[in-house]
Amino acid sequence: MARDEEDPSIDAKVDRSVRRLLTTLGLVLVVIAASAGWAYTGFPGADLLGFYQLKPGQSAVILRLGAYSRTEPQSGLRWHLPAPFETHDIVNVSEIMRLEFGIRSGDAAAEEATIHESTMQTGDNSIVDLGFVMQYRISDAFESRYGVAEIVPTLRDAAQAAVREVVGTMTVDGVLTERRGEVEIESERLLQDIVDSYAMGIEVMQVELQQVQPPEEVRAAFDDVVAADQDANLAINQARGYENEVLPRSRAEAIELTEAARAYRDAKIAEARGEAERFNALLAAYRAAPEVTRKRLYLETMESVLPNVEKIIVEPGAASVLPHLSLGSASRGGP
Amino acid sequence: MRRLWFIVLGFLLVATGLVVAGSRGFGPVVITQEGTQQIILRFGDVIKETEPGLSWRIPLVDEVKTYERRLLYLNTEADVIQTKDQERIVVDNYAMWKIDDLTAFISSFPRGMQQAEKQMDRVVRAGVREIVARHTLTEVLTDKRSEIMEAIRARVADSFAGTGIAIHDVRINRTELPAAIEKNVHARMKTDRDRLARKYRAEGEEQARKIRAAADREATVLVANARGEAQITRGEGDAESTRIYAAAYGKAPEFYAFVRSLEAYRKTIGEGTTLILSPDSEFFEFLGGSQAGADPR
Repeated sequence: MARDEEDPSIDAKVDRSVRRLLTTLGLVLVVIAASAGWAYTGFPGADLLGFYQLKPGQSAVILRLGAYSRTEPQSGLRWHLPAPFETHDIVNVSEIMRLEFGIRSGDAAAEEATIHESTMQTGDNSIVDLGFVMQYRISDAFESRYGVAEIVPTLRDAAQAAVREVVGTMTVDGVLTERRGEVEIESERLLQDIVDSYAMGIEVMQVELQQVQPPEEVRAAFDDVVAADQDANLAINQARGYENEVLPRSRAEAIELTEAARAYRDAKIAEARGEAERFNALLAAYRAAPEVTRKRLYLETMESVLPNVEKIIVEPGAASVLPHLSLGSASRGGP
Repeated sequence: MRRLWFIVLGFLLVATGLVVAGSRGFGPVVITQEGTQQIILRFGDVIKETEPGLSWRIPLVDEVKTYERRLLYLNTEADVIQTKDQERIVVDNYAMWKIDDLTAFISSFPRGMQQAEKQMDRVVRAGVREIVARHTLTEVLTDKRSEIMEAIRARVADSFAGTGIAIHDVRINRTELPAAIEKNVHARMKTDRDRLARKYRAEGEEQARKIRAAADREATVLVANARGEAQITRGEGDAESTRIYAAAYGKAPEFYAFVRSLEAYRKTIGEGTTLILSPDSEFFEFLGGSQAGADPR
């Protein structure tokens, strides 16, 4: 009887404790599921049980009793031991942030500060007006929270220090023109070294120069150098134009001269041949009847010459008459 | 069995209670958060410097003070500093520092962070002044910038030795020339640029003139060569024609002289010419009588 009573009572006890355990487990599961549901819909009480939500691009730094435990990089619904055993700190790790330096916003109040920020000394002891943009993101969630107390002011000053240091090694011409890219790359590298030494969990993505120009006071002089360069090119181009005009012209003139000379030569020869022919013909006729031909030629010439000529016929030996002739008026002829 | 359950449950409840109280600053549990460091003082004596995590204290007796563990940023006032070569320059710095020995820190700076920052500002500025004064302006601005910054850091770190402060970095984030010097620099830059501009223009003109002169020379030579060649060609013409004439007229020089004279008369004797003729001339051979002409023969 006693044994009979004992057996079922032990069974019942085991039975009861198993049931109790299952009930407890079930309850815990229900509570967890319910609070997960809460957390998902953003219900405020859910975080009391340790649920929290991570959006894409966010990481959570989990502290257990104040000390670093782990970093949760996976987005979604996450859980840690309820506070105050564990706490979380959400960090936007993929967000790219941007800081501007010395860029004129047109805001008159900020102008003074901007000028201070953008005025830099170059290696050749000149001044350059330089604005730039820095882009960065958080590379280590834990360090970004617990490495450095004031991230943005630190970054601002470090970035300025880096860019100024790099600009300080270059000439004003270099910074203004061909070594701009070098300034960007060098500054980025130097700045990354600096922030790495601060262990602040920041990755410098880019340093980009924006407005790089000579100071306002000397800008006109710099522009004039550019203008001078253009003037020089203009002068050279005009000279080339002149060259291109003068050479063909002189070539043309040379050809004209050569051709004229050839014409002269050929004409001269042709003329000579013609006259020689004519003379030969005449000579042939003359040889046939020399006396008559000679006479005829002479008389024909006289005939054609004398009609237009004032003629004075004087006896030989009457040469004394000559001084009395008004030779001047006669030789000049009528009006 | 049940007793065990109660013990476990009770322990958990007490632990939770202690932690919750500790997280609010009560009770024997001290929770130190990352980024901070705490010091536990018993009647002014340092009992413990805490690490992030859990520490213990005697409630109501032990006092807990919290400080930063993170790297701290301090921007010091900008100063006008004279360099070795008597130039004046505005230098702006920032310092990165941290509390690395809390016990030493609280005895050196009993009034806390503000006191520390004030002193740091002073020491950094003095350090900058001292180190910059040993270098020329160019060195500060360019050549030896990082060397100078490291020297300043070492100098500042030295003066904070034993105070519980570690100087991580002192950096010149901004240098600026005083207005008067800046004006000089502007003037010099302007002169430089003017010189360059003049040089470019002059060089342009030089090039241009060179090109023009070369073009002129080439043109002149071209024409002169052509002219010379033309003379030769003309000479050829003259020579050839002369040869032809000579060949033709040489056959009868006397007749040529006669014919050529007649032609010359035709050309030269014209209107306005007065000719004094003798009746004895050949033209008037028959003027005196038809026989007269027979006489000379």
